[in-house]
Amino acid sequence: MVAGEPVPHNAAARERTAEDSARDVPEPTESEVPTEPVESAESVEPAEPVEPAEPVGRASAIRPFLLTAGRVAGSGTGPPLPVETQIVTTPDGLSALRSLTFERRDIVAACRRPQSVAELAARLHLHLNVVRVLAEDLRAAGHLAVHVPNTGTVHDISVLRRVIDGLRAVPDSRGSLRDSS
Amino acid sequence: MVSVPSPTHGAHSATAVEPPLPVKLVIAGGFGVGKTTAVGAISEIRPLTTEALITEVAAGVDDLTHTPGKTTTTVAMDFGVITIDPKLKLYLFGTPGQDRFGFMWDDVVEGALGGLVIVDTRRLDDCYAAVDYFEHKDVPFAVAINAFDGEVQHDLDEVRWALDISEHVPLVVFDARETRSVRDALLVVLDVALTRAQAANPA
Ligand SMILES: Nc1nc2c(ncn2[C@@H]2O[C@H](COP(=O)(O)OP(=O)(O)OP(=O)(O)O)[C@@H](O)[C@H]2O)c(=O)[nH]1
Ligand SMILES: [Mg+2]
Repeated sequence: MVAGEPVPHNAAARERTAEDSARDVPEPTESEVPTEPVESAESVEPAEPVEPAEPVGRASAIRPFLLTAGRVAGSGTGPPLPVETQIVTTPDGLSALRSLTFERRDIVAACRRPQSVAELAARLHLHLNVVRVLAEDLRAAGHLAVHVPNTGTVHDISVLRRVIDGLRAVPDSRGSLRDSS
Repeated sequence: MVSVPSPTHGAHSATAVEPPLPVKLVIAGGFGVGKTTAVGAISEIRPLTTEALITEVAAGVDDLTHTPGKTTTTVAMDFGVITIDPKLKLYLFGTPGQDRFGFMWDDVVEGALGGLVIVDTRRLDDCYAAVDYFEHKDVPFAVAINAFDGEVQHDLDEVRWALDISEHVPLVVFDARETRSVRDALLVVLDVALTRAQAANPA
């Protein structure tokens, strides 16, 4: 493993990205995950990323537990997903988009553009730990690829140099208008 | 049949969705010291707020009287992004600095390249928790005094003494509203991180 490369969370996550053919037959996933109906290739949504409509309002204190059926991030096999973990929709996820509902659909739709767990939580107004739990579920179902960052990056001199050079290139002033996309 | 790209080796057909390598820096400090302002000044997107698990703040506990016009505060993380290059993204996380949010820090600081502790010299003790935390976790960090209205009410040696930080910890004065000022403060943090990484892996 090359230091500094994102590490696939598991083999299932590794195999697919949204540019793979959506005609692929989904691989078997963990047995307890209900199989989503997979739509035909003709009904697949356009490939270009479309931001989901911004949900209104803030997440309440109780809803997270309803959304995740009471499960808590990190209570399963491993530590909770790091906040910078990159999530990408798979072709299977794209195909299944119409069969998904609410938060799951929002997450799969948003991740047509790769983004971090933290960014996703912020954009969808979901609690961090809700996103973690749902992302694990969606990964298990084959709808998302989850790229957990390699911890060795912190000590990787070449990565640090790149970050320093990139930061030096930031202009003295950002100007007044930036858009969040 | 379609070939399956591997994520770590030349996945040419999937470059469009190959996620960048994420790295992060943490910006910490007490209430109202300028964390959100600093993230907003340097981020290429408007800073986003990620809600953490706790949603209530004990009212009246925190002394906000020194920051006029500030009536509410969020228990939340600021989130900003700087695209270093197409394959490398620097994330910025602004986190509240009080002791009772310690559990949130573990979550965010794990894997961070470094931290910047923002200090308001009118309320030095607000940043002790963050300084202690980074020291204890052995995370490279620097301390930045936010010069509200251009005034720093102590000289730097006094601040260093009051915070009890060693000479190895850089102490800078900055303006959280200015991109260049935040950028340079973050570069100081990265310099600490690089020096440390080089010492650990002599070429
Ligand atoms: N004059 C001046 N005002 C500043 C500066 N930095 C921040 N402020 C103001 O101070 C107030 C608090 O700044 P924030 O960036 O919200 O501070 P914060 O650390 O995110 O605050 P909390 O999230 O509530 O803990 C805001 O009204 C800012 O506009 C500065 O360098 N100079
Ligand atoms: Mg803030």
